[in-house]
Amino acid sequence: MNRRRFLKISGIGSIAVAAGCTAEAEKTLFSLIHAPDDMVTGKAGWYASTCRECPAGCGILAKNREGRVIKLEGNPAHPINQGALCMRGQAALQGIYNPDRLQTPLIRESGGWHPVSFARAAELIIQKARAAGQNGPNRVRLISEVVGDTLSRVFQDVLQQWKSDGPLLFEPHAFESLKAAHDMVFGAPVLPSYHMDQADILVGFGADFLETWLSPVEYARKFKAMHALHNGRKGVFIQISPFQSLTAANADHWMACRPGSEATVVFGLIRKLHSSGRGAEIPGPIQNQISRICDTLTRSEVCRRAGIRKADFDMLSNRIIDAESPLILGSGPGMDSRTAMHTDIGVSLLNLILDPALPRHDFQNRHRIECAARRSDVSAFFEAIDSEPVELLLLHNTNPVFTLPSAHRLTEIISRESLFVVSFTNFMDETAELADLICPIQLPLETWDAYEGKTRVTGTLQPAMGRLTDAPAIGDLLLRCAFSDQQPVSDYKSHVAGQLNIQSPADWVNAVQAGGIFNQSEGPPFNPGLSVGELPLDRMMPDSPDDRPGAGLIVMAVPSLRFYDGRGANKPWLNETPDPLTLICWQSVAQVHPQTMAARGWKQGDVILFQSDFGTIKVPVFEWPGIHPDAVAMTLGQGHTGYGRYAQNQGQNPLTLLAPGQNPLTGGPSYQVPLSEVRALGQNESLAHLDGSRTQHGRAIALTCDIQTCHLPSPDSGQGLGMWDFPLTLPIPEGYDIRRDIYPSHPHADYRWGMVVDLDRCIGCGACTVACYAENNIGVVGEKQILAGREMAWLRIERYLDPDDMQKIIFLPMMCQHCDNAPCESVCPVYAPHHGREGLNNQIYNRCIGTRFCAQNCPYKVRRFNWLEWDRPKPLPLQLNPDVTVRSAGVMEKCSFCIQRIKDGHDHAKNENRLIRDGDITPACVQTCPTHALVFGNFMDPESRVRRLADDPRAYQVLGYLNTKPAVIYLKKIVQTLDNAIVSWPGRPLPG
Amino acid sequence: MAELTCDSIDNTVLDTLQPPSRFYWLLIAFLFMGVLLGAGCWLYQIVTGIGVGGQNNPVHWGIYLVNFVFWVGIAHSGTLISAILHLFRAGWRNPIARAAETMTIFAVCVAGLFPFIHLGRVWVVFYMLPIPTQRTLWPNFTSPLMFDVVAISTYLMVSAAFWYTGMLPDLATVRDRASGTRKKIFQVLSLGWTGTHEQWRHYARGYLFFASLATPLVISVHSVVSWDFALGVVPGWHTTIFAPYFVAGAIHSGLAMVLTLMIPLRKIFKYEAIITVSVLENVAKTIVFTGIIVGFAYGTELFIAWYSHNVVEMETFRWRIFGDYSLEYWIMVICNTLIPLLFLFQKIRTRIPWLFGLSLLINVGMWYERFVIIIGSVAHDFVPYTWGLYRPSLIELGIMFGSFCLFFFLFVLFVKHLPSVSMTEMKETLFAGDHHDQ
Repeated sequence: MNRRRFLKISGIGSIAVAAGCTAEAEKTLFSLIHAPDDMVTGKAGWYASTCRECPAGCGILAKNREGRVIKLEGNPAHPINQGALCMRGQAALQGIYNPDRLQTPLIRESGGWHPVSFARAAELIIQKARAAGQNGPNRVRLISEVVGDTLSRVFQDVLQQWKSDGPLLFEPHAFESLKAAHDMVFGAPVLPSYHMDQADILVGFGADFLETWLSPVEYARKFKAMHALHNGRKGVFIQISPFQSLTAANADHWMACRPGSEATVVFGLIRKLHSSGRGAEIPGPIQNQISRICDTLTRSEVCRRAGIRKADFDMLSNRIIDAESPLILGSGPGMDSRTAMHTDIGVSLLNLILDPALPRHDFQNRHRIECAARRSDVSAFFEAIDSEPVELLLLHNTNPVFTLPSAHRLTEIISRESLFVVSFTNFMDETAELADLICPIQLPLETWDAYEGKTRVTGTLQPAMGRLTDAPAIGDLLLRCAFSDQQPVSDYKSHVAGQLNIQSPADWVNAVQAGGIFNQSEGPPFNPGLSVGELPLDRMMPDSPDDRPGAGLIVMAVPSLRFYDGRGANKPWLNETPDPLTLICWQSVAQVHPQTMAARGWKQGDVILFQSDFGTIKVPVFEWPGIHPDAVAMTLGQGHTGYGRYAQNQGQNPLTLLAPGQNPLTGGPSYQVPLSEVRALGQNESLAHLDGSRTQHGRAIALTCDIQTCHLPSPDSGQGLGMWDFPLTLPIPEGYDIRRDIYPSHPHADYRWGMVVDLDRCIGCGACTVACYAENNIGVVGEKQILAGREMAWLRIERYLDPDDMQKIIFLPMMCQHCDNAPCESVCPVYAPHHGREGLNNQIYNRCIGTRFCAQNCPYKVRRFNWLEWDRPKPLPLQLNPDVTVRSAGVMEKCSFCIQRIKDGHDHAKNENRLIRDGDITPACVQTCPTHALVFGNFMDPESRVRRLADDPRAYQVLGYLNTKPAVIYLKKIVQTLDNAIVSWPGRPLPG
Repeated sequence: MAELTCDSIDNTVLDTLQPPSRFYWLLIAFLFMGVLLGAGCWLYQIVTGIGVGGQNNPVHWGIYLVNFVFWVGIAHSGTLISAILHLFRAGWRNPIARAAETMTIFAVCVAGLFPFIHLGRVWVVFYMLPIPTQRTLWPNFTSPLMFDVVAISTYLMVSAAFWYTGMLPDLATVRDRASGTRKKIFQVLSLGWTGTHEQWRHYARGYLFFASLATPLVISVHSVVSWDFALGVVPGWHTTIFAPYFVAGAIHSGLAMVLTLMIPLRKIFKYEAIITVSVLENVAKTIVFTGIIVGFAYGTELFIAWYSHNVVEMETFRWRIFGDYSLEYWIMVICNTLIPLLFLFQKIRTRIPWLFGLSLLINVGMWYERFVIIIGSVAHDFVPYTWGLYRPSLIELGIMFGSFCLFFFLFVLFVKHLPSVSMTEMKETLFAGDHHDQ
């Protein structure tokens, strides 16, 4: 090769390389040259909206960064949730950014799914609907989740255009028996809201108002308002149910009754009240009927049937009789429909007898879910599709094939050849799989809408983010399909404005900014008209405990705090966060009483085949003391066969065991079924539970104190060095003492951040855990890694049982304690855990080399190591908080007290040239807590809330005797022993 | 058995350096494959993440650190034998000093690898070096891990220098009898040793100084390693007896490893005349002594746990004995404290198969001691909610296998290429009239 040739070749080569390099440069990170007015890069925008993860209708604020929603928080101005949000609400983000979300409509052709354009999908719907409309009346049917009046009106108009009847609003948990009981007793099938906060005694017969019942965030708040310590007293909550739900775990006393015997207890109480002369206001015929029914329900008979102790029954009845403002709540999940109806009728009567004016029932402000169709109507709806010449079935955000026990029959009906099924959904769920056309629609965070969570609370929804798909809003799509060019309104947004009766654009902006219209005037007064006719109570006698059918066990299918009816199952956070009681992630189990386990020779994790008359299920058993020995409880929501990678084949669906029929009187389903056969299959499954031990082994971790003595300093606390007599040592200079400390205190400038956790307020719902996942970009590790012990949650709720009484449960939120004398800091060779000037124990990720000594030396074991790179399939990374580093494999991480929010607080204070004020900074967990169990603040400020709370005699530090000087101060849980001798509640003097 | 002479010593030792047999190369090949396997496992772990192991929360430290402590422990006896026993003029240490010291050096090398293998991000391990850079980071010298870096590297350097110094006259002997390339190599290695009176004088003085320098290191290294644990707050770690306890344990395991290595060496290289049964017997007697110290430490731990009346301490030790790792605990107790007592019987401590078999058991027991302490303590510490168990994964076992292969690979290379018995010191014993058999 000569010189010229070499130059030629190298010249061509370098041009080729240079030309090839340009292709990648086309990608741009931001093209926001013309950014929207309200978007500033690096600054969050907040959009008020309404949560649609369940029918409660909580208000939310969606945090938008650079065009994408990264966090949801409760709307503090919203009357339902007042700033709090449950874990399902927090996880709504993983619906929008779900990797299995459908991007385009899919049509079923020649046995497979084929993507089509949205225009083509609309065309198909128009074509099918028009043809159906021309062929005759009622040939188009629509079934939807419960929606607001606005969308419901659109459905009606559209269906009318196609000569069909209105939509069917379907919710799997529709509270049929409660509605029916109210209809029978109060004269209207309504679901009033309850002023739980005004009660002095609350008695529940299963209602899981801290989990899924009507409006859990609202009732969690109200419950703690009534149940928190006021002037040395607190309200009393007693729950009677066969299964100890999270709600029952928070009761002062839980009575395990035999499954199906709840109504017996209710009527036993009515009899007792009657005999003490109460209930004169009840109409005569009903009075007669009650006395007839209750005739045999003596105290001993009730206790025999329900399997409860006589002393407990006496305590319960005496408490109710003596109460000034009692409130009785009705049936809960997992009941059979007959018992549920009787219980709810009995409870309604009981409330009426106790307080005829029903002051704690708010009939003006009723829950939206009351408009959901009865289960019997849902069944009739589907049967009608089969028997009538229906041509087009529209399904909106609903998955009846999964949520109804009659999956086989539904599959038959929906798969019928002559029926064209359109599913408006974003996910390939079990029902969508049977459809002919799947049309994705905008999710609640992307769309305009309105939703009335309660009669007097209208929440608005607005697009809080840019569009991820081209999906239209369901309202727009249907209006366009039905009316083509002569639409009554230009688009669905203006329809919403019209429906809300908003005239001026300013009012509209105000409403949308506030997240709704809350101070609506009262409607026409609702007078609960007492029914005078006979109640359908003749057949109420519950089964005698002796003639239990089949295998002697009864399965209860209870809704899940995490998955609700199953719609949460495709969200990784909800799978990863454990069930608050079993502490099991990802899997589903059957909870069985230890006695039953022992009697049948089952061991934890044994896979048992449960068979009822309607189906079978194979599920591992979990030994759990919080259940009646006759019952087996399983949570609903898992066991999907479709619905995306996170839901599919994860856990089991107990609905397959249940009877498909309904109670003829209430139209409600039964969530309980006797088992005809149970058989161990000889397999054992490792359970992905997070707790290493169920009890505290006598250590100073989650402490309780008695209500009588909670205002006194703990007798143990002193100046000793042992576990029980070690003093409270605040993480500030005052907390140091030459007798205990070798090293001097840290010089904290102005601030020393810390937290106070009131164990008396913590209900263990886990909302904080999920909020923390969302805020801090925490990795989801999946079932396999959970089994290996590698969960990443920065904040966990430890659940401990009392070894003396396993039904006494205490929850302890545990996060990094930001010790002033941190064991992790001294052992790291490279200063990755670093004590900040404001007392924070900062973890510096890029300094960490992964010795893991810090985690070994942390007595609280709150440090989390990134064992691997955690999977975040696209587009889940769009949810990541840009203010928080995403950690890579090999580094340690832990709770930072949301340092990004602290920095933000600094910036604000600096802009205003002042110090940070108490309450300026709210970490994600504190923000979302429905019961205000967590308080964050500055210990250097003697006036701060945390500092004042730390003066409470209940204050202690977990394992404080290690002299780590944790900055998380816990307040002991206040327990009250409910026996007849000690009676203490508001308005009644304490004995002695 | 014939009386040892200078010639017979030279001949016996130098015979071992004859060109090796095919079996030797097969063994070397096998061990090298084992090293490659371990290296492959490590590479896979670096690429995938430390999660390929079995560690979890709460057991963040798995068998990597068990092996680290185990090998550091093994590394103890070499210097103990060559330095401390030299100062004590225990003549019986001369035949085994060289091999024991070589064992020390290789064991420290293998041990030193494990902290690297253990790290989550081994590629940034240089953050631990105290170099002033633009990172403006300085290592945290209050961290026991920094103590480790200093202690282990010092120990490695001093041991290696001591080992090499002691070998100089022997290297010269090899040089004098070698030819060709081999002669050139040993010429360089022997640093111009000619055996003049002046050289011997310096040599003897230098060797003595090295011995005195190395002696405190024997104590310090494992004391420092024990502080990795004792300076933590974890019940089962946080105790003041850890330093002497670990040193005694280390010598215990090191002596057992000396027996494990010497017995085949003696057999294969026909060292019976040099490494006599009575030498091995003396090692066995010392093992009885260290075994009793270790047993006393076990008892002390239990007593203090009970005496503290601290529920956390008591539960930790109750669980250690009866809990999920009770099998490991009892292996530890039986192998480390009861089995060495068999050496009290002369019939057992003078029988080669018994010596060999029991030394293996003690090695196993000492490995489990580290397992029980490192894994068993954090698995069951303060907060019951976080209790958990740990089982090593195949990758971890692969790396552990590789580490054993690496050690034996180096040792097997050593015995065929360098004099594995100190000819000089053997001859010294002859001339001093201080025969090692007496």
